[in-house]
Amino acid sequence: MLFFRSEEALEEWLAAHEVRRGAVLALPELWQLTQPWYRDRLSPDFHGRSMEQVQEIFKQAGLTSEFWGAG
Amino acid sequence: MDEDTLWSIRAFVYQHFAETAHPPRFDETASRFGLTNEQAAGAYEELHRRHAFFLEPGTHHIRMAFPFSAVKTTFRVHANGRTYFANCAWDTLGIPVALHTDAEMDAVCAQTGEPIRLRVRDGQLEGTDALVHFLLPFREWYNDLPFT
Repeated sequence: MLFFRSEEALEEWLAAHEVRRGAVLALPELWQLTQPWYRDRLSPDFHGRSMEQVQEIFKQAGLTSEFWGAG
Repeated sequence: MDEDTLWSIRAFVYQHFAETAHPPRFDETASRFGLTNEQAAGAYEELHRRHAFFLEPGTHHIRMAFPFSAVKTTFRVHANGRTYFANCAWDTLGIPVALHTDAEMDAVCAQTGEPIRLRVRDGQLEGTDALVHFLLPFREWYNDLPFT
C-alpha cells in the first residue's frame, strides 16, 4: 500500500509499472478503516481475526466490492 | 508449548516493539519466558504460521509485526519519543492507532518522491490530501507480504 500525492501521480505510477489499478482510498476513509483494524493490536487478548470478522470490518467501512472479499 | 505461553510471547513481541521500536530476538524471548533458544525459535515459527507476525524468510528474525516493521522503510512514525518504521502507507496510520498516541508521520509519494507529512492530534488525522493505493485484492495480501 503506497501513498500518492494526487490522482495524476497515481496514474503515472500505474503506467510506469504497467500494473492495473487496485483500490484507492482517501486518507479520511483509510483513517476510519484503521481504527477497528489496529486499535486492539497491542492487547494481550488479540489473537488474530476470523475471516468473518475481517469482512465485517470492511463492510462497516463501506468496502463491499469484490476487491475486499475473501475470495 | 501451551497456547497461553504462545500468545504471551506474541504479546511480549508487540510490547517490545512498542517500547523500543524493535522486535525482540528469539534468545531474548527465550530468557524472558525461561525457554531454550530452540523452544523460542519454534514459538516464533508457530506464530509466523498463524500470521501473528512474520519472519524474515529462512531465519528466526521478526521482519513484520503489523503495523511495525523491523527494517527501515520510507514510512516513518515519530511518537512517544521514538521513530518507528511502518510496512506500508496503511501501517503508517496504524502505528498511532495501535499505540493510542499522537504522532507525526513522514512518508513520500511513490511516484514523485514528494514528502507526505501527516499528524495525529487527539485522535484526529491532519494533513489529509493524499491517496493510498491498494495494489492487490485482500485475498492476495498474504501471498507475498513485502510485495503487498
